[in-house]
Amino acid sequence: MNGHDHHDHDHEHEHEHEHEKPETQDAGSQALAEALGSSFTIVKIVMGLMVAGFIISCFFKVGPQEKAVILRFGKPVGQGEKALLGAGLHMRLPYPIDEIVRIPVAQIQQVTSDNGWYFTTPEQELSGEELPAGPDLNPQIDGFLLTSDTNIIHARATLAYHVADPLDYTFDFADASNAVLNVLDNALLYTAATFSADDALINARAQFQDAVQERATALLEEENLGVVVDYCTVDSIPPRQLTDIFNQVTIAREKRSETINQAVSYANQTTNNAIATAAGIINLAQSTEFNYVTNLVASANQFKDILPYYKQDPSLYIQQTFVSMVGGALTNVEDKWYLPQRADGKPRELRLLLNREPPGTNAAGF
Amino acid sequence: MKKKNIVSVIIGAVIIIIFAMLLFAFQVRYAQVAVVTTFDKPVRNIDQPGLYFKWPWPIQRVYKFDGRIQNIQDKFNETITRDNNDLILTIYAGWKISNPSTFYPKFAGSVPRATEILQGMLRNAKNAVVSSNTLSAFVNPDPRQLRFDEMEQKIQDSVQAQLSTNDYGIQLVFLGFKKIELPQSVTQSVFDRMKGERQVIISSEQNEGAKQATIIKSTADRIATETIANANATAAQIMGKGYAQAATVLPIFEKDPALANYLLRLDALQQALGQKTTLIFDERTPPFDLFTSIPTNAPHAAPAQ
Repeated sequence: MNGHDHHDHDHEHEHEHEHEKPETQDAGSQALAEALGSSFTIVKIVMGLMVAGFIISCFFKVGPQEKAVILRFGKPVGQGEKALLGAGLHMRLPYPIDEIVRIPVAQIQQVTSDNGWYFTTPEQELSGEELPAGPDLNPQIDGFLLTSDTNIIHARATLAYHVADPLDYTFDFADASNAVLNVLDNALLYTAATFSADDALINARAQFQDAVQERATALLEEENLGVVVDYCTVDSIPPRQLTDIFNQVTIAREKRSETINQAVSYANQTTNNAIATAAGIINLAQSTEFNYVTNLVASANQFKDILPYYKQDPSLYIQQTFVSMVGGALTNVEDKWYLPQRADGKPRELRLLLNREPPGTNAAGF
Repeated sequence: MKKKNIVSVIIGAVIIIIFAMLLFAFQVRYAQVAVVTTFDKPVRNIDQPGLYFKWPWPIQRVYKFDGRIQNIQDKFNETITRDNNDLILTIYAGWKISNPSTFYPKFAGSVPRATEILQGMLRNAKNAVVSSNTLSAFVNPDPRQLRFDEMEQKIQDSVQAQLSTNDYGIQLVFLGFKKIELPQSVTQSVFDRMKGERQVIISSEQNEGAKQATIIKSTADRIATETIANANATAAQIMGKGYAQAATVLPIFEKDPALANYLLRLDALQQALGQKTTLIFDERTPPFDLFTSIPTNAPHAAPAQ
């Protein structure tokens, strides 16, 4: 304690000495003192900046498309969902105590399996300058799939997914997207093995795609990858070596459809005509029947009305009605010919030319 | 002066603590596993994240490994099935370090070395499983006949058994087929077969189209004939009903059949003499009989037009 006091006293004494004898300080000491003073100022500023940087580094921002996990001494702060920090400003302790791990979650990620596709590059595909197909496929470089009928097809699948469980996806797998790709490869392989080439390429393309997605989804769940499948697209084509023959099959199928469509058109026309004819027959029968019955009933009524008058003088009635009818009929008749009796009392011979003989025909009519 | 000493002490203490922590403490991060060795002998397994302490080097050392599942893919090789079909198979697997203290000495802590050993095991197990199955286990129209999952499980079990027996400290988490292909020489013959099958399909499509068209047309013709026949039958029924209804009226005419007969004939004649009719009479037909029954100076008149 005394030592300290003594030291303080000495220090004060020195200050007094400085004030008393400023003229004794040489120029070098003064320059050194000034340089030290400037250096201390710089150090103070740097330290101030470091403290500010230290404080600022305790805050961090999480974007809307991501989640963050704070690892404190390597261990997540919180458990399960509680360990995941959402969008906004958050606090942490400085490194190496706390470490921030950012995990993209909202954005859709994609993997494409081209294990079943022939050798090509994206540049060649885009430019349409792919190498011509050889007589066979080299498994070292060309990918292809075996179908259930032991045929060969090419298929390429793209799986879009998003991360549903960021902890599983990030901390359980060293390369999660590659693990997803492996699953997609397997799904494509498995599905092709259960579909015939025709089904995978032509008849059931949609079902083929659905089956790939179904298998991939099941495997992803089984392997706990922590992702949810958004959609899956599959592009399948026959081997390029068989393009011509597959085109011929397509043409044959189109012709078949055309032939059947023509037959269906004929069938529709025929049956519709028959239905129309049948309706005509029935309608005619109904109208004939109606007319017949109506006329007969009318005739019966007429008969009942006439009968008393007829009974009075049948001959006169007949004469009167017949002449009346003939008179009425003659007004409508276009041509009327009267042939008087021959003077010799013999009947007249009347020849009628009903139709002219068609020109150019012989006696037999040919 | 006191304040400055306190600050100096604190700074000194902090520096000492930092140095001490660097020497005596270490962190195991989430998804990491570690093994602590004492004079290179593994003495402690660490599979949980956190802050741990150890004796300083060279007494103790810490070896940290990635505890996450690693992807592995075996090499491309040809395998023969039980029914003598050549297949080229590739499999993928996911593995992780389950016991760092056994993993470290076996592989000198080298993940690439472990991967190499695993690839060999996978290849052997794969060949054994493939050679005990037929081609129909790999490709089959009936999914129930397909042995994909079963074969994958067998390979995984076989490899896992070897890993456990050798105490490699590795766990095989999952496994699956990645590629199943045919040798290059076989693809050519498959193409030839596929061409033949397409030719059959083309021929079949053509014949099938003609057959179906004929069936459709003949069916339509039959339906049309039946429809008209049914219509004729219906028409006959309708007319039959009409005649039956007419029969109820006929007794009225029986009161004087001669008159009825006359009226019906008169009606029929009236209907027959419509427009555009040419009538030729002689003088015996009333009322033209008047031309002969009434006396006149001209015995025979010229025919009227």
